[in-house]
Amino acid sequence: MNKTRAGISLALAAMTLLSACGNGGGNNDGGEAKGSGPASSPAASGAAGENAGGKLKPEKLKIVLYGDESNRMKELAKTEFNDIVKKEINAEIEFQFLPWTEYGGGKTDLMLSTGEDFATYTDTNYMVKSVAKGLYADLTPYMDGPAAADMKKTVDDNSFKAFQLNGKQYAVPVGNKPNSGEFYSALVRQDLLEEAGMQSVSSLAELEQFYDKVHAAHPELIGFAGTDARRMLMYEYTDKNLYWQNDFLAVDESAKDDKIISWFETPEFKAYAQIMRDWYKKDIIPKYAATNTPQLTSDWNSGKAMFWSGTAARPFEGAAAISQAVPTAKLENDFLSRDLPKISRGTYSTAWFVSANSPDPERYVLFFNLLQKNQELYDLFAYGIKDKDYTLDENGRLARLTTDSLVPDWLLMNKNFMRFDKTVSEDFIQKYKAWDDDAIISKTAGFNFDNAPVKNEETKINGVFSEFLVPIASGFVDYDAYFPKALDKLKAAGFDKYMAEYQKQFSAWYAAKNG
Amino acid sequence: MAIRENKTLIVLFYIGISLFALVCLVPFALAVAGSLSTESKLAAEGYSFLPRGFTFDTYRFMFGSKAEQIVHGYLISVVATALGTACSVLVTTAYAYVITAKGFRFRNHFAFLAYFTMLFSGGTLPWYILCTKYYHLDDTLAGLFLPYLLNVFLMYLQANYFKSIPHEIVESAQMDGAGHMLVFFRIMLPLGQVGLVTISLFYALQFWNDFYLPLMLVSDEKLFTIQYMMYYMMSNIQYLASGNSAQISGVTVAPPLETAKMAMTCLTVLPIAILYPFLQRYFVRGIIVGSVKG
Amino acid sequence: MTDEAMPLAAAPGRKRRFAALRKDGSLFLLALPGVIALVLFAYLPMSGLILVFKNYNYNGGIFGSPWAGFDNFDFFFSSMDSAIRATRNTVMLNVLYMLTGTFFSVTIAIVLNELRSKWFLKAAQSIMFFPYFISWIVIGAILFSLLDFDKGLLNKLLLAVGLTPVDWYSHPWLFVVILVVSHIWKSAGYGAIIYYAVLQGIDSSYYEAARIDGASRMQLITRITLPMLIPSIILLTLLGIGGMLKGDLSMIMGVTFLNPLLLPTTDIIDVYVYRTAIRSGEFGFASAITLYQSVFGFLLVLIANKLAGWYDKDSKLF
Repeated sequence: MNKTRAGISLALAAMTLLSACGNGGGNNDGGEAKGSGPASSPAASGAAGENAGGKLKPEKLKIVLYGDESNRMKELAKTEFNDIVKKEINAEIEFQFLPWTEYGGGKTDLMLSTGEDFATYTDTNYMVKSVAKGLYADLTPYMDGPAAADMKKTVDDNSFKAFQLNGKQYAVPVGNKPNSGEFYSALVRQDLLEEAGMQSVSSLAELEQFYDKVHAAHPELIGFAGTDARRMLMYEYTDKNLYWQNDFLAVDESAKDDKIISWFETPEFKAYAQIMRDWYKKDIIPKYAATNTPQLTSDWNSGKAMFWSGTAARPFEGAAAISQAVPTAKLENDFLSRDLPKISRGTYSTAWFVSANSPDPERYVLFFNLLQKNQELYDLFAYGIKDKDYTLDENGRLARLTTDSLVPDWLLMNKNFMRFDKTVSEDFIQKYKAWDDDAIISKTAGFNFDNAPVKNEETKINGVFSEFLVPIASGFVDYDAYFPKALDKLKAAGFDKYMAEYQKQFSAWYAAKNG
Repeated sequence: MAIRENKTLIVLFYIGISLFALVCLVPFALAVAGSLSTESKLAAEGYSFLPRGFTFDTYRFMFGSKAEQIVHGYLISVVATALGTACSVLVTTAYAYVITAKGFRFRNHFAFLAYFTMLFSGGTLPWYILCTKYYHLDDTLAGLFLPYLLNVFLMYLQANYFKSIPHEIVESAQMDGAGHMLVFFRIMLPLGQVGLVTISLFYALQFWNDFYLPLMLVSDEKLFTIQYMMYYMMSNIQYLASGNSAQISGVTVAPPLETAKMAMTCLTVLPIAILYPFLQRYFVRGIIVGSVKG
Repeated sequence: MTDEAMPLAAAPGRKRRFAALRKDGSLFLLALPGVIALVLFAYLPMSGLILVFKNYNYNGGIFGSPWAGFDNFDFFFSSMDSAIRATRNTVMLNVLYMLTGTFFSVTIAIVLNELRSKWFLKAAQSIMFFPYFISWIVIGAILFSLLDFDKGLLNKLLLAVGLTPVDWYSHPWLFVVILVVSHIWKSAGYGAIIYYAVLQGIDSSYYEAARIDGASRMQLITRITLPMLIPSIILLTLLGIGGMLKGDLSMIMGVTFLNPLLLPTTDIIDVYVYRTAIRSGEFGFASAITLYQSVFGFLLVLIANKLAGWYDKDSKLF
């Protein structure tokens, strides 16, 4: 026992040692952050706003991106990208690439927590959590100034609101593309559909008919390349226009109220689960879906599935992959009903944030602005150098000369600037551009739930979701046999408290917005 | 009588080990064949020992324009593995000697000091802060092995091997006036060779297989190890296919290449699996010769 | 507990301690690099354990963030049935891994020890190592192609002989067997090499003496080889007991793909924490449970270490 005690005291001694130096470090960081935080910057913003690179003092910017860094990106980052950023905003730019798994956590979190100076993109979930921990710089002061002037014109105003918390702008939206009705359409293989002698699908019955016919001819194909069809099938099982906030909660966009709906407890969920159960039994959803979900996407991409849930851009985004395996493949979005307006959360792709410890967040804002400033800069960052990386034909259609991706184009995608390649039909482009015309913006757009009061409950219900609710919702097990137990578990995990808190916050926000 | 019993038994032993080795080889053979198959055929027909639609496409896809980086990645891996293993083996054997030194009053304290860290860790954040802000190991070659210098599990293994060396040998050396340094370098290391071979193998595997240190500490591409490059590629594929990316709308999903998984296995496992048995002998001899001279 | 546990503060001890220091000084020197490594990369970062009881925020840092007490443990222990199930699954799988793993490793090592063909030994040793390299993701992919309902090899075989195919991925208890077998496959070779190295160090005179006494091969194995391995078995078991509550997330993810239907037996602590805390981005919760795993393992090891001490003082860990 003697030895153990000695060991522990040694450990304690070591910890005290660190707490001494660690404290010092921590305080220093805190101090820096306070000294150079946004509060002291508005004065500088006037000077910066003139947007002539020469007048700004030199600065270094680090942009973190996720995914694979192509060779061409590497080259351009050191040459043309750097030159243009230098010229426009007098900053040296460095791109650091991280594996996707580090998005919204992992190394990104560590870099934020150690006060590194960088910017990257985020989603509203990660934003709410990070802002609570004080990890993001407040960008509000630069929003109305000249620093953000150009992108205010090219990016939708609602998108800016989506990344505000308590009236403060913590992230700057990027991208502006039609994306209403995301996953509410059935993305069908038009080539198979036509082979089966059909033109389009506009109901569940037709969708299943499509499956039956194609299945008879091509038994090796799977039907649905996913496990979640609640949006696509919504028109079938309800008259409401449901819009989901997360896995558990939805609102009815047709109703002008602030009511949050507990999705799993609705009769609609029961009806939906029964359709899915049917699909699973009929093999429209393959047996392996319960296990190997990635395989579904893989099957879709290699042309081994008949339909998937669609988005405005999927017909041409996804076509490239499929046409490698099936050159004749054509994709088309079909809604099972067109009676209800499509719902949009905002037209952004994602949003940039700046780390709390950055000495010059404004310069980052200037850079974000640059990315979406005009056609010329957009072309450069998304496609590279004309005639070297891409060519344009007389119609302005794009032909890329390299497969290397630069600043990811899904991220920049702005309907004001984006270009299509020759394979996309004029007809489709018209449809794509008009996609949002009959859309409404969700009544929840801009609401961000603060989960702090119900962190425990949220964590626990996520556990219940992945174990008990996913199998029911995807049709792996029978609703009637398994739902009562799943509901008990959900309640035991504190779902009611979570839901009440959500309702409370949403009602308050809704009243403030409409009051 | 006795001889015949022995013979059947020995034959059985050979058969048994051969069978087990075969079982160990099977998935590996499947992986090699899989990496040489076409993605669509593999998906449709499943794995087999012969490639389905023989092709080098997967390797072409992975190497693509990156052949140079991959070769460089191997180089960094080899350097980090060699340096890491050499340093670790010395540190570890020395520590193991201390906790087995007969009559050393603090040996159990040292043992506990090491054991405690096997169970308790403070998590990534403080570790990361210290490594980057205080030790400045980010973007250095040292960062690829220093944090893993002492593997307590292997330290205990080595101590276990030391314990099996007859104590009389040490005692007689000490009678002749040899100090601990001398006993350690001249007697224990050479006599504990089998242990040394074993833990150096394990250390080499650890350093070769590691992707965590480059992930955490390296952003400079020049220091990417092969294992990290593979992890990078895999994690992108996995993440995009997992549906987590739904939050970031519009990420076009890269096809999760089943064949890529297999090719990666071949690319990282093959070199060390084939080379290690040959290198091992020289390596261990190097350490012993080096330490005896030193 | 004996010679080295002499009372440190005894009055005449000072002089003796000084002499001891001179004699043992070089031992401190030998341990120094290891101690530095431990302090730098394990003990100093351990200050982060405080975070488990805190609500971390950036401005406060590790030490200045507000205290949270035991709040970070709540999500786990407030749903007791999940906590108990996760703990039970972890311990159950670990015990099974340990028993089967030790059995196979020791057996293989003993068998290897009986063989004389050098090239065969070398080849066998190398090959047995292969599985250790293959990541669980790849093993999972290969298993999947074996067990898939529609295209899996096993079901094709069943169909060929006229039996009905089985949906393998819906049988939680079957997967315990599959996990155990996968674990043996992946780590038995690794373990065997540890034990085999011990056997290589045995003085061959032991065997010769026994052989002269007329012992058969089986007797040599049970009377000499096996006893020689006991200390190593104890050591590895003790080291394993410390990790009794820790599980391998990547293994479960790779082999079961976190299939919800298999969770009744595969929901180990690390999987549960992944499904709940990590998926929700509550990393503070996750580290709290890591501490629970450590403390529990530590208590087990203290007991096991004591037991090992009764058996043989020399086989204690510390």
